[in-house]
Amino acid sequence: MKFLRAAASEVIGLFVGDWTQTIVSIVILAVGWFAIGRMRQTGLGFIVAFALAAQLVVATRLEARRRA
Amino acid sequence: MYAQLFTFGAAFLGSAVESVEALTIVLAVGLTRGWRWSLYGTVVALVALAVLVVLFGQVIVARVPESALKLVIGTLIVLFGIRWLHKAVLRSAGVVALHDEEKSYEDTISELKGAARQDWVAFIICLKGVFLEGLEVVFIVIAVGGTSKGLPTAVAGGLLAMVVVAAVGVVVRKPLAQVPENTLKYAVGILLTSLGTFWAVEGMGASWPLDFVSIFGLAALYFGASRLAVMTIRRPVLA
Repeated sequence: MKFLRAAASEVIGLFVGDWTQTIVSIVILAVGWFAIGRMRQTGLGFIVAFALAAQLVVATRLEARRRA
Repeated sequence: MYAQLFTFGAAFLGSAVESVEALTIVLAVGLTRGWRWSLYGTVVALVALAVLVVLFGQVIVARVPESALKLVIGTLIVLFGIRWLHKAVLRSAGVVALHDEEKSYEDTISELKGAARQDWVAFIICLKGVFLEGLEVVFIVIAVGGTSKGLPTAVAGGLLAMVVVAAVGVVVRKPLAQVPENTLKYAVGILLTSLGTFWAVEGMGASWPLDFVSIFGLAALYFGASRLAVMTIRRPVLA
């Protein structure tokens, strides 16, 4: 049972380190999906990537400040 | 060709990092409690991981439509890659301590002290350690290999890394503390986040300029963002 619990938390932990960051990433991808579905422009993916990169910078800075 | 190269690279590097961590556990148990039951535990864990790759790999390749596969698995790879990248940034900036194989080795040995039925303890610790470390490799191999239609390439990358790490472990017989784990995790984080973004956006119905060559642009973007994060974090921490 303990082993199964550890395996389950390991599987969730594959994708979630910080719930806020995970939710923000999913929201960025969902908004990107909506926008791409409407506009279908080549290169829109780079805007999604910029948003994900920006949230990485913000999330790591926030965590560093929290740990300081 | 680029897709296969990225697939192999991500599987190889991801598997190398996790194999180093699994090797530390197996070495600690094997050298203190004997090899027989430690190796039984390791083999059972490897068989279980192989079964997962075969089962989920087949389902993903044969049953899931391509656009859904790219969107869902691409999203999961982005989340997985960003988690690794996030951790690597914090480690590079000195906010989180680097993973220490010597300490993991000592921790595993102290966990074994006082264990009465040592054979079963050795078996369970190796089984649990190798299986849990291997889950991340299984995800990387299935997700990257399945989405790029290069499952054999991903499996080959993962297996090769495992064999190389195991061979080095047999020769040196101590934890591989010199392996730059954070740098490897950093590289895998960038590779996976780039691949995940590429596939997720394709799954959304958009196309990329220059097709797969865009991956290099994505990798440069994520590398730049992570370096920016490291630089801006370091200043206030050291001040």
